Amino acid sequence: MPGDASQDEFESRVKPLWLRAQAGDEAAYRESLSRIAQRLRGYLRRRLQGMPHDVEDLVQETLLALHLQRGTYDPAVPLGAWVLAIARHKLVDLWRRHGRREALHDAWDDVDESSLVELVACDETAQARRDLGKLLDELPAAQREAILLTKVEGLSVTEASQRTGVSESAIKVQVHRGLKRLATWVKQT
Amino acid sequence: MRTDAWIELLARGAGPAPSGFVARRVGAACVLGVLLSLALARALHGPLPADLFSAAAPWMKLAYTGLFALAAAWLVARTARPVSRTKAPARAIAAVVLAMAGFAAVATWLFTPSGERMRAIMGQTWMLCPWTVLALSLPTLALLIWSVRGLAPTRLRLAGFANGLLAGAIAAAAYSLACPERSAAFVAVWYTSGIVLTGGLGAALGGRALRW
Repeated sequence: MPGDASQDEFESRVKPLWLRAQAGDEAAYRESLSRIAQRLRGYLRRRLQGMPHDVEDLVQETLLALHLQRGTYDPAVPLGAWVLAIARHKLVDLWRRHGRREALHDAWDDVDESSLVELVACDETAQARRDLGKLLDELPAAQREAILLTKVEGLSVTEASQRTGVSESAIKVQVHRGLKRLATWVKQT
Repeated sequence: MRTDAWIELLARGAGPAPSGFVARRVGAACVLGVLLSLALARALHGPLPADLFSAAAPWMKLAYTGLFALAAAWLVARTARPVSRTKAPARAIAAVVLAMAGFAAVATWLFTPSGERMRAIMGQTWMLCPWTVLALSLPTLALLIWSVRGLAPTRLRLAGFANGLLAGAIAAAAYSLACPERSAAFVAVWYTSGIVLTGGLGAALGGRALRW
């Protein structure tokens, strides 16, 4: 069945990357997020047929959620199921914000073969409507600076700490808080 | 922002995934919850006289509620993650409840004269007990809701129910240090009722309160 092959392929290709990413391999993290984004796009495109302009926004919102909740991934669980559960949670949130009542009757944690057929790789990236870059600029100064230095300019935490005079652990805390705040704002737009 | 730029931003300097992520948040809520429950129980009833601890009753209650809390904490940790695997912790909770029920049944039918059995089950405070457990559990429940909301539960009512069971078990353990009742039957019926009642409250609140 195409669904099984697709699901198995995703697990066999992306899960090893993800596990390396969990251990700290940045290149593996980047690669696995890319592949996960492709899958999310295909899945959400089908579910958001009435709202095509929201697909890329939701892809980005889900990627942020995956990042912030990396610590909840349990290697005993298939990566696809974990990603899908978070994506569905965000999807229901979006529907609720748009007034549509929760229509997903299927059990959240059933790794249903037919739904995984929808995890078809999708390379075409529609333009996101929401500009996360703009939202980043609106963060409080400490959080914005920590994120810009370490994640945009690419400084190490040590370098950023020397540049700003703030301790290394404080830099990490500010980055985390900034991303969490972004996640909250994104829910409101 | 384009998604590939967004991915670049997320990945850069990300480091390893945090370890003990769930355990730390839930654990912190539990420790604080225990302290608050103990303080509340003592405020409500005053400290238990020390000589009461030479009897079996407080130890029996602490053992039951302590084991219940451990199994419930396991369930909380599982339901705080997406794709929660709940079979094993659910079975553990059932095992604790059934073991207590079995113990109480044996104690009542074999060691309590038939005329006194009803009194053993009802005790003197059966009306108060479940509601006191519920009241004592409220601070812990609030703490657990706050901590689990920062994680990623995807079955919200089940996660809420687990939170309630844990808060209730902790509250019941604190209550057992102030409660005058002695019979295992009383504990099996009324302490369990209080814990399940709190579980129900957690479930009712969870659907809304645990959204993240």
